[in-house]
Amino acid sequence: MDPMKAQQLAAELEVEMMADMYNRMTNACHRKCVPPHYKEAELSKGEAVCLDRCVAKYLDLHERLGRKLTELSVQDEEVMRKAAAGTG
Amino acid sequence: MAAPAKSTDASLSVTAGHSANVSSAENVSLQYSLILDHLIGDKRQIKDLNPTVMGALPSPQKTDEQKMIERGMESCAFKSLIACVGGFVLGGAFGVFTAGIDANVGLDPKDPLRTPTAREVLKDMGQRGMSYAKNFAIVGAMFSCTECLIESHRGKSDWKNAVYSGCITGGAIGFRAGLKAGVLGCGGFAAFSAAIEYYLR
Repeated sequence: MDPMKAQQLAAELEVEMMADMYNRMTNACHRKCVPPHYKEAELSKGEAVCLDRCVAKYLDLHERLGRKLTELSVQDEEVMRKAAAGTG
Repeated sequence: MAAPAKSTDASLSVTAGHSANVSSAENVSLQYSLILDHLIGDKRQIKDLNPTVMGALPSPQKTDEQKMIERGMESCAFKSLIACVGGFVLGGAFGVFTAGIDANVGLDPKDPLRTPTAREVLKDMGQRGMSYAKNFAIVGAMFSCTECLIESHRGKSDWKNAVYSGCITGGAIGFRAGLKAGVLGCGGFAAFSAAIEYYLR
């Protein structure tokens, strides 16, 4: 497959992927860091610190998993290609 | 809570096992590993993450200056400074008030039967006020600083922060008079903080 085409497809998918990631990250971090006892409108110091850490961890995780997933994908494709070449 | 962490799964519906060539509508075979490389792998484009693009409510972006000011105002040093100044003022007022209702203000220890002059009384009131003010300022700064540090470390905002920092402050103050006084100070101040937190929450 043409790398240019792959890049174009990736650019189209990226917007949707980013929006989905942002949604999930907001939900997860809100659930973890902000207990449902709303006494005041502003974020307290503890909650702000927790949110910073949550976002950093989430993005780090996203990057590592992405790298691992592409590695596994490449390996799998090699195997499939060898199997197809073997039987073909 | 593994599901929220693996965010790429649902949006791409890619699993590591199905990476064989698949025909799409335009008869172009998709090679997932190439796409993934550009999407989440090493060849992805590093973009400036802007929440408005990703789906948040459109809001004006904060300038760097504003962010710096906000970070300064939320910092532990600034909070303990505020508590110190507030404690100083409160302590001064309290000290002057206490001196006002005290019968022994201005009394000269060498000649206790002589009524003190107005200047002596005022000077004594000022000294007492200053002494109370300094004590309150130190206690306030210590309590606020430790509470802020504990809250930053724990990442939670509940009543336990005040109790822990009350124990530390009371213990530090009482420790100067020995270990037992330190323990008593810790318990007493922690109980006082717990009562105040209960009232406030």
